[in-house]
Amino acid sequence: MSTPLSATLRLGAGSGFWGDAMDPAMELLEKEPLDYLCFDFLAELTMALLQRQKAKDPNAGYVADAVAYMKAMMPLAHARGTRLISNGGGVNVAAAARQIAADARALGLKGMRIAAVEGDDFLGRMEGLLKSGLPLTHMDTGANNLAERAGDIVCANVYTDSTGIVQALQQGADVVIAGRVSDNAVYVGPAVHAFGWKRDAEHVDRIAAAVALGHIVECASACTGGMSSRFAEMPHMGRVGFPIIEMQRDGSAVITKTAGSGGKVDCHTIKEHMVYEIADPRAYLMPDGVADFTSLRLDDLGGDRVRVSGMRGKGAPRTLKLVVGLKDGWIGESMAFFPWPNAYDRVMKAKQTMLERFERLDLKSDAIHFDVIGLNMLHGDAAPRIDPGLANQLPELGLRCAVRTRSAAEADKVRRAAANLWIMGPGGTSFGTPIKPRPVVSLWPTLIPSGCVQQTVSMWEV
Amino acid sequence: MARHLSEIAYVRSGDKGDVCTAGLIARTPQDYAPLLRSVSPERVRALYGSWIKGDVECYPMDNIQAVVVVMRQALGGGATQTLRLDQTGKSLGAALLRLDVVEA
Repeated sequence: MSTPLSATLRLGAGSGFWGDAMDPAMELLEKEPLDYLCFDFLAELTMALLQRQKAKDPNAGYVADAVAYMKAMMPLAHARGTRLISNGGGVNVAAAARQIAADARALGLKGMRIAAVEGDDFLGRMEGLLKSGLPLTHMDTGANNLAERAGDIVCANVYTDSTGIVQALQQGADVVIAGRVSDNAVYVGPAVHAFGWKRDAEHVDRIAAAVALGHIVECASACTGGMSSRFAEMPHMGRVGFPIIEMQRDGSAVITKTAGSGGKVDCHTIKEHMVYEIADPRAYLMPDGVADFTSLRLDDLGGDRVRVSGMRGKGAPRTLKLVVGLKDGWIGESMAFFPWPNAYDRVMKAKQTMLERFERLDLKSDAIHFDVIGLNMLHGDAAPRIDPGLANQLPELGLRCAVRTRSAAEADKVRRAAANLWIMGPGGTSFGTPIKPRPVVSLWPTLIPSGCVQQTVSMWEV
Repeated sequence: MARHLSEIAYVRSGDKGDVCTAGLIARTPQDYAPLLRSVSPERVRALYGSWIKGDVECYPMDNIQAVVVVMRQALGGGATQTLRLDQTGKSLGAALLRLDVVEA
């Protein structure tokens, strides 16, 4: 157990997704005393992408940005005593840790300890798992036939808890890089370590509080004014501040953000993210514990500070979520845009022409989908029907087409049909850059007993 | 003249596989009761028509005056395989604000 900088544990959020801006994370590190700066880099599709990279190059397969972040931040973090925790190791955690250690050495950061947390990658274990007799039922569809698709498996990762991160911190790690730990394990881990919490009945509510706080900040600026319905009142979002959790030993906390930064923290910005991507709010299920989001209390303290308290929860579930990625055909996509007058009539004529081209090109598809851009692309059946006469008076409209096929060659016919429209289509039509066909990886989420997963920690010392 | 939910609530939505989840948040404490009256699985399903193929569940959160709407089989197969542009349901939830407010 290590002692936080003070009785209050200060955790910063440094990244909400792979592609997030680095400058707000750097600003947070520069301006705020932090015990830990934590980063989420992974999404459901990321693991399949990283496995593809690793198949081409055995030293790839981690989030390259994650390693670049560590390189940029290690000198200051080391000087300040801020430890860096992320899940950017993807499907090649050891390679990422090795590279970070090499970068630390080149930067002259003697004594730095870099830990790799592994154990979530089940790609090499799928054959055994399929033979084990576990049902591996698809959580959403109830399907039971994963074994029939064994040849299509491209990735398999278990959302793991913070056990490995805690172990790495106990071993004195300054940088922890993990694979598919749950997004909020990067926040729960340091709290469990710093406060010396046990995973017992006495600490259930406190771990649930850490789960909830992790959820609130894990998408970084999404709780400091980003993605807000009140976007109009959010100041200087281009230099938004990333969030900070100031946590107490009892699990209560204040959420704030970098001093002097853009954006805002108030009860509303916190509520907006509390309700994001959860199912039953009474049981927000994470590998570290189950949080009851209907139990907590928010108090606006003013000055971009909101107190979060009163969390209750339940202990960790006995099963963990395993997400298996399966190769599942291709998608071909196209877009075209049409001007006034009679933009709607142009859209309809172009759609008819596309369908005729598909026939001539003998397109073999599983599904064909059209949207009228400007009328129904985002809301489909929930968008109000617009009278064609009225739609024809609009300044411009677009047509989007997306087709699911079994092969790349079939998907490419969508691009060709759309290119045919350049001259066969209605006058005045404009096209952006043609869109390349993309491979589809469908996901098979299932549950496995927690006992199947053993996390391991490896350490590199500079 | 009927009010729309857009006058009394904010929304944020996203995805988990083929599930779209949306949180509706009352703009003021007084807006919470009408928000609760106005959101039901039946009304949500009727609004989205064929764009939601599975069940809808609505969970009230009295502590923060919000309702979480869980819409199953609502993203055309989920982000990685859907033919829709809004792959992760970020825009889809905003349509909930079209629901008429059920007045007391």
